[in-house]
Amino acid sequence: MTTTHPTGMEPVAPATQPPRPPELRRISPGIRINIRGRSVRLRGLRRTPSGPLRWLAILGPGIIAGSAGNDAGGIATYSQAGAKFGYDMLWVIVLITLSLAVVQEMSARLGAATGRGLLDLIRERFGIGWSLFAVGIVLVANGVLIVGEFIGIGAAVELLGISRYVVIPGAAVVLWYLVVKGSYARVEKVFLLMALGFLAYPVSAILAHPQWGAVARGAVVPTIHFSSAYILLFVGLLGTTITPYQQIFQQSAVVDKGVARRHYGEERIDTYVGMVLSDLMSAFMIIATAATLHVVGKTNIGSAADAAQALEPVAGRFAAALFAVGLLGASLLAGAVLPLATAFSVSEVFGFPKGVNLDFRRGKFFLSLFTVFVILGAVLAMIPGLPVIQALVWIQVLNGILLPVILVFILLLVNDRRLMGDLRNTRLYNVLGWGTLTLVSVAITIMISTQLLGAVGVHVLGG
Amino acid sequence: MILLSQLLRYELIDRSGRRAVPVDFTIDLGADHPPVTGLLWRRAREATRFLPWEAVDSLDRDRQRFVVADLSGDDTPVEESTDRRVLLRRDVLDALVIDLSARRAMRANDLMLEAEGGALRLAAVDASAWAVLRRLSRGVVGHDADEPSDWSYVEFLRGDPQAPTCGVDYNRRITRLPPGEIARLMEALPYLEAAELVTLLPDALAADTLEVMSPQRQLQVFEELDETVAIRLVALMAPDAVADLVGHLRAEMAERYLGLLPPECRERVVDLLRYPEDTVGGIMTNDVVVVPPSATIGQAVDIIRGQVATPDLVYYVYVVEDLASRELRGMITLRTLLLAEVDQRVADVMDPYLVTLHPLTPAREAAQRVVDSQLFALPVVGADGRLLGAVTVDAAVLQVAPESWRKDVPRVFA
Repeated sequence: MTTTHPTGMEPVAPATQPPRPPELRRISPGIRINIRGRSVRLRGLRRTPSGPLRWLAILGPGIIAGSAGNDAGGIATYSQAGAKFGYDMLWVIVLITLSLAVVQEMSARLGAATGRGLLDLIRERFGIGWSLFAVGIVLVANGVLIVGEFIGIGAAVELLGISRYVVIPGAAVVLWYLVVKGSYARVEKVFLLMALGFLAYPVSAILAHPQWGAVARGAVVPTIHFSSAYILLFVGLLGTTITPYQQIFQQSAVVDKGVARRHYGEERIDTYVGMVLSDLMSAFMIIATAATLHVVGKTNIGSAADAAQALEPVAGRFAAALFAVGLLGASLLAGAVLPLATAFSVSEVFGFPKGVNLDFRRGKFFLSLFTVFVILGAVLAMIPGLPVIQALVWIQVLNGILLPVILVFILLLVNDRRLMGDLRNTRLYNVLGWGTLTLVSVAITIMISTQLLGAVGVHVLGG
Repeated sequence: MILLSQLLRYELIDRSGRRAVPVDFTIDLGADHPPVTGLLWRRAREATRFLPWEAVDSLDRDRQRFVVADLSGDDTPVEESTDRRVLLRRDVLDALVIDLSARRAMRANDLMLEAEGGALRLAAVDASAWAVLRRLSRGVVGHDADEPSDWSYVEFLRGDPQAPTCGVDYNRRITRLPPGEIARLMEALPYLEAAELVTLLPDALAADTLEVMSPQRQLQVFEELDETVAIRLVALMAPDAVADLVGHLRAEMAERYLGLLPPECRERVVDLLRYPEDTVGGIMTNDVVVVPPSATIGQAVDIIRGQVATPDLVYYVYVVEDLASRELRGMITLRTLLLAEVDQRVADVMDPYLVTLHPLTPAREAAQRVVDSQLFALPVVGADGRLLGAVTVDAAVLQVAPESWRKDVPRVFA
């Protein structure tokens, strides 16, 4: 035994001290537990996070599902609502938040109790016919949303002075390539960061010095305008805030996160927090637009440039740029996730192989569906002379119309004793759930009848 | 071959001419081609009733009807939605089933039955898209399945992890697949079905399968298992795998499970759990084979023969002063041991120059050394010179491999 051996290579001898790591990091104190009357300190156990950390660990699917509502279509609808009716539609957001939280919670609960996606459950419980019907609804609802996202991409780049006819096809190709090549997860964070540009809305809302009294009144006192524009926006708000896609996404995300039925209780917090945050954001969009545009008498938003003015209190002449970056991020994010999630859940219904790691031979159906969605979305968004904001609002209205179908399926499934066991809906949830369904259905019926009557020249409601 | 979707459009007629429609079929899943044991039927606006298969006189395929003895409907109605039996339409049709020959999960788009003698047996699953078209068009469009999956190579799961312990029948052919393949199949299943699958495997296979599952899936499945089953399986797993699993449980659960483990297994697991998961102690195994240096090769072979049944790492035999102090002296490979003369001493043929690891060294740093060393494992030695265990190259690769390799399935919703 000499010093010629490098450290750690000495022949092992009684006197040899094994090499200690040069500096020991601070080691967690571990958890002291009692096993059969013997107390041991175990550092290998995960410490259950406590306090604020505990809540942070739970947050996840709900926040993402919630913010998915604030995409291109959402911004258009909230801006239009704020510009046209000032603070008068804020109470709708308050009401919707309750409905949304209830609906999303039921979706999350379905996911945790069964470990399955919504369309998958519909296939197994209601058979092939109903599941194809549901798939049809989802294809239409998500299809138009995807068009909406590409419209959002186009509108954002036009604000920056670039032609949408160049960027939309480019974005479609890039998104398709990123997802199919499996490197999407890496760029997702960039899109998210860009979408954070919309955090300027709350700041802008405060800097615009709205009359907070009026804001509070608008949020609490239901003010109803008897006009077809109001009822149209009402359905649009419902459709953009409570989207079929959000329920499907929430359920898949809960399944994917691996939430089991026995740990479901605390996951509720995630859903509630996510929905409240998302709707708070929506409310700030309405307030910011109302306080900047509505008050000066600009009551119709015709383009993205108009909507961007709501950010002027915070960004001044850079309002358009800030708005464009936020819109581009949010639209790119949803533009990739929506076709992907749709292809995923539809493949699941038919039992076809799914996932982005498949090649075209094995994942023919999955990848074709994804590709068709991206192409269709991009092509339809390039229709020349498309009225951007109107198109986006109508897309949300269409989603609102399709919402009751998905809600019925969710409510039936979540009351299925064999499926849900003790996680079945309580009476309160059923009242709130069916209540939401009734509210949405009544609003849609009124909207459709006024539109139809309007089309044949009968105006029941004002302008 | 008759399709289930066709059978559901058949009619029931009894000897006195009463008519009814079949609603569903009960089945006994114990056999390779399980026989239909009875049918649920209903007459317009009446309750659903059960008819045992023995009461079916014949299956008239030309006139598309079942001829049965008596449809007077005097027996008690059954509640179709809560019936505990396996029903073909309600449970099996449209379900996700495992195709053992193609080793994938597939949708039972239609079921093919075979009438032979007086019996009706479930013969195959049609998972093709044609089956969907055929069902929607009521048989007008679509052709017969090109390659139906023979039911004897299909495993049907109920989504109830407790079912296999309640004497419910399964095909159980899946038990012939290797554990890695079963774990891979399981990733495509909802977690309740995955837990059910683990429960129906024989204990040793179930333990091996649990070991190779992805950590998140493993935890999910483990928590769904019945406690006695869970303890039985854990006792059969390698101690380092158990420590990883228990380390992810909540403290109260960990305390409870550790208390229930067999004492020897518990000691090993607790020893590993003393170290944080991102240190050498957190990734090592402490199930290693040891011999004293004073033993002759002949004695050494006898000594290790009793130890090599369970450890994963058997190729490296560590030489320790005595079993009480476990002071590390050197290492000897199984090859050297087999090639040496029987009367040589272990101390003379062993390799005394060892790279050793300290249990509190950061895991990634140590893992890199293991990979760089080109050896199967490096021993872990405590401050007092005591052999604590070894970090195998398997464990090391998991630490140094890029994130994207560790999970070969990219997560869509990540």
